[in-house]
Amino acid sequence: MNETIAEPPLTAPQGRPADGCVIETAGLCKSFGGQKALDNVSVRVPRGTIGLLGPNGAGKTTFIKCLLSLELPSSGVARLLGRDIRAGSRASREKIGYSPEQDCHIPGMAGCEYVTYCGQLSGMPFRSARQRAHEILDLVGMGQERYRRVETYSTGMRQRVKLAQALVHDPELVFLDEPTNGLDPAGREHVLRLIGSLWRDFGISVVMSSHLLRDIERVCDRVIIIGRGRVLEHDSVAALKDKHRRIIEIAPAAGTDRYAAALAGEGLAVVQLPNGRLRVESGSDSIEWVLKLMQAGGLPPAEIISNPDALHELFLKAISDADGG
Amino acid sequence: MEAELTLSRWSGKPGGVGYRRWVIMSAGIRELLGTRFFRAILILAWVAGIATAAVGFLFAQTVSEGGWLESAASHFGPRIHAIATAIDAFVLLYPDICIRALFTNLFWLHSMAGVGLSMVALTLMVPRLVTRDRAGRALTVYLSRPLTTADYLFGKLGTIAGVLALLWTGPLLFGWLLSVLFAPDSSFFLYSLIPLMRALAFNAIGLAALATIALGVSAVSRSSRTTIILWLGLWLVAGTIAKPPGTPDWMKRASFSHDLAQVREAVFKVDEALEQVGTELPFLDRSVASDFVQVGRKAEAKDLAGSIAGLGVFVALSSAVFFRRLRSE
Repeated sequence: MNETIAEPPLTAPQGRPADGCVIETAGLCKSFGGQKALDNVSVRVPRGTIGLLGPNGAGKTTFIKCLLSLELPSSGVARLLGRDIRAGSRASREKIGYSPEQDCHIPGMAGCEYVTYCGQLSGMPFRSARQRAHEILDLVGMGQERYRRVETYSTGMRQRVKLAQALVHDPELVFLDEPTNGLDPAGREHVLRLIGSLWRDFGISVVMSSHLLRDIERVCDRVIIIGRGRVLEHDSVAALKDKHRRIIEIAPAAGTDRYAAALAGEGLAVVQLPNGRLRVESGSDSIEWVLKLMQAGGLPPAEIISNPDALHELFLKAISDADGG
Repeated sequence: MEAELTLSRWSGKPGGVGYRRWVIMSAGIRELLGTRFFRAILILAWVAGIATAAVGFLFAQTVSEGGWLESAASHFGPRIHAIATAIDAFVLLYPDICIRALFTNLFWLHSMAGVGLSMVALTLMVPRLVTRDRAGRALTVYLSRPLTTADYLFGKLGTIAGVLALLWTGPLLFGWLLSVLFAPDSSFFLYSLIPLMRALAFNAIGLAALATIALGVSAVSRSSRTTIILWLGLWLVAGTIAKPPGTPDWMKRASFSHDLAQVREAVFKVDEALEQVGTELPFLDRSVASDFVQVGRKAEAKDLAGSIAGLGVFVALSSAVFFRRLRSE
């Protein structure tokens, strides 16, 4: 069980409450037969952009589904935006958006018709829903395709329309399950930028589930690592990186051997990576000492990267610890 | 591709549960109205309603004093005119029996058209109710919003009720209203009320049974073809098997169209109305009176209890299938 006290969010966008937890769970369990999909999950998650990280089958989707009452928890309590998910099952979902991992649409409807309908299902009047639908479809990068039937869309377009239906009713919290799956690089870039802006510009808290660490690291300010149905880590990205051993990668423009010798001379274990970079374990986050070493040794310029794969290594360690490895 | 981060905020008060159910219901009806085939069925249904109104109107004009029958008969000499006047007087002497018998038979015939057209419309609707939502995993879209399975159910039931109201209840009420609007006196209104209530009662029973069965069939599979075949099988194949006189009762009850037909006979009580005509109206030739009684007996419900049980099993099974399949996938 992990009990993490929420930190205040980094920013407080206009028009949205900046304090309070978006998700609070206590002892949340979910079993499918004998298999425990969620095991005593207790978290308090503040507003912001939160990454839900875990390998396939870790329980990320089950966690989201339990919060949305799409799956009934076996035991435990959960609150979304301060509302108990069991006591007011409708009310707890009023200000929530959800973009599931799997493809989901209503066949026969055009994209804009579908998003408008989803807005109406959340209680919006037709005119407002239609206006928001077009704005959101613009935002997710859908052009004239919005007038085509959803079943004719490519995977990337379906991903965008899923995102649009999750945002159409102006939610306070949106769950995005693997939102970049099936997107081409340009589309992925666009969607990640949009997700990153949801909290920053619109005050919409985001819980983004993914197994892609780079996506999480790029847009999220907090991370929850889930493995075997348990919360293994929950903290801000910066704090999690701090927990990790300090790694520095150096990519010299020239004279890699000179660099290796200089670093070895400092008593550091140097590993030369296949991409030509040199990797060393450092005692601190600062790269000041590398700069001093370069100056003292007259070394050529180099790119210095601090903690390049911290989240990745932390993730692997957490999973390994959970497995008893 | 740069994200244009301009977005209007929506701060309105969201509509309540009733509104959201209405959205599901109206979307289903609107979509159906967009198909040419359904519009053709709709025209047929209203033609049946107009026919009902025309028959009622003609009957009312026939028996009214100085009506078209009397006027036309006067051209054929005093004898024919006297017979026509006698017929008018006869109906006006026994308005309860005559008007009730007429409207009972009229609504009974209309209910056949109503059920038939509703079945055809439901064939068109079955894949659009739950099947398609399951195929597109749309249940997740519904249930992740402030909606419960009950809201989804009521929305879909509302779609069926709306369609059946357009095809059956609407034309029925329209036909009745036009019939009594131009009637010579209030006895037409008065004595047609009981047949109307019976027709509406059967309408409600039919709606409840057909809607539940259609939803159950629609939830069976994600394939539209499978659900259409299943619906047609239950309606036409089982209905055909139940038709021959020697068919065992249990096999007859396995057809919901047969069960509904039995309930219809029991609700309309056409047999009673015709028997009353045969036994209580004076001046009728004995053989004519006997014919009325004979025809009435043919319209008698012969296995009401069994048919109700059969319909009950259909409704229970359909509900079980619907609720079992109604979960996010």
